[in-house]
Amino acid sequence: MTVAWILRRARRPSASARRALWAAAGSFVVLGLVCGATVLGLRATRGWMSTVGRSVHVIAFLRDEMESDQVSQLADLLRRRPGVARVHLVEPAEALARLRDAARPSPATDSWLNDLEPGYFPRSIEVALAPSADLPQRAAELSRRLRGLAGVAQVDAMTNGVARLAAWVRFGQRLGWAVVLAAGIAALSFLVSAVVRGREARRRQAQVLVILGETAGNIRLPANIALAVAGLTGAFVALVVLRIAWPALLAAVEGALGIIPMPAGLFLGFWESAVALLAASTFGWVLGYLSTPVPGWVDA
Amino acid sequence: MIWLEGVSYLRAGGPALEDVTLGVSRGELVVVQGPTGSGKSSLLAVAAGAQAPDSGAVWIAERNIAGLQASSLPYVRRNIGYLPPEPLLIPDETVLENIMLALAVRGESIDSAEADARETLAMVADSAWEGRLARSLSTGQQRLVALARALVGPPSLVVVDEPASGLGGDDRKGIASALVWARDCGCAVLCATSDPAFAQMLVDEGGRRVHLEGGRMAGGPAIGLVPTPAGFAGENASEDAESAEPIPSSDRRSSGEEPS
Repeated sequence: MTVAWILRRARRPSASARRALWAAAGSFVVLGLVCGATVLGLRATRGWMSTVGRSVHVIAFLRDEMESDQVSQLADLLRRRPGVARVHLVEPAEALARLRDAARPSPATDSWLNDLEPGYFPRSIEVALAPSADLPQRAAELSRRLRGLAGVAQVDAMTNGVARLAAWVRFGQRLGWAVVLAAGIAALSFLVSAVVRGREARRRQAQVLVILGETAGNIRLPANIALAVAGLTGAFVALVVLRIAWPALLAAVEGALGIIPMPAGLFLGFWESAVALLAASTFGWVLGYLSTPVPGWVDA
Repeated sequence: MIWLEGVSYLRAGGPALEDVTLGVSRGELVVVQGPTGSGKSSLLAVAAGAQAPDSGAVWIAERNIAGLQASSLPYVRRNIGYLPPEPLLIPDETVLENIMLALAVRGESIDSAEADARETLAMVADSAWEGRLARSLSTGQQRLVALARALVGPPSLVVVDEPASGLGGDDRKGIASALVWARDCGCAVLCATSDPAFAQMLVDEGGRRVHLEGGRMAGGPAIGLVPTPAGFAGENASEDAESAEPIPSSDRRSSGEEPS
């Protein structure tokens, strides 16, 4: 069979094969959405967890009058305390840089952030405690002591908030994996069922072509092409839907959790998208191969 | 063109063919007549390369297809027009598309295949069917379309199993004429029927009749205008099946046949 014939046959599937093809394309869209959302979701939670993972349990905001050597002495003092894992002195410039990094760029925030100056931010000391069962009590004790110091303007004990956020993120991850697993299994089942239906539609066609002397490769080729195109189309639609819907979905989740919006990782990159399209069309090609049974001999 | 040598074929219930030897040359029409269950369909399936014999050789052109690799079989089959006992058509495709498929497999261009398919359909059945889906046809009509698909081209070997089954007088005459046309085009035509009247119709047109009973040829081997076995297994035997050329006919050295 010539290329012209194969393309003609790939473009003219039977009614039942056409239905199976549409079902397969729909399954590819769902599968693409699940896989894409998984990648983007993991990226988002990694960002959230890195914030949580800083493990800052107590922040002491310092008065402007406090001299630099006094600040250094206080930091050294804190470092020597038992149960303190890390002490970090945050200068005003770093505090401003952190805010600019954390805020998602937009015309509204850009002008606001540009007006800010480091002088608006107080110096602060971040204290991370070594993890233990009584960490909240130790953080509370340290906060109480710091509040009693003359150079300290305010103390923020982050323990409860951080722990709560970490728990929510962990819960969200577990829930996300369960949803991904369920949706993935559902989409794959739908895809397999569409391929099985297509297989039944192609069985007789393959039997006829075997009698007529068509090679196994050419018998399978129209289904290979059709399902590869279905995979490519499904993956493309999924990428477009993710591009449109993901930022809004992520913003809603971040809003609900009270998390500062992340600056990056909203979209799949060019190469990630290219790999997804290639993988979907290759998967479609393989399914096309499996969906065409070619008998060696024909029942008389 | 085709020579079956000592072919045996087993089915679940026992042997369907036992040591059958039969030859059909180019430009020859052979009618295999026998009662239901005599092994006609098995014989034709083996002759068409649709089934592998359990023993014996099936020489088509210069190839013993019983010994060919599975990947080589399609190149032999595409030179055979086979009408199986059940007319295998693709139900969701039109009559014309079903007939054109045989030519598509042989690599003919789409336009040329369409013209040839129309011509053959007009010869065997009704041209008005060409746009109808195969599933909308009656079994008899499907049989005629499948016959048209077997004859289109025409291929060098035509193997038709009960082509007139369930069809009326005019259709039977049309089928007989089409088979004679294929023979006159130089095809080797092998036709099986359990209908003595239809067999006689073909014999009257110059066909050679052989009888099959209980999986055996009545009266011994039925060899027609075929070359010797040595000729089939000659020096070209190692060439690709794709490049096989039809064998020219040679001397008649037949036995067990009725005069036509």
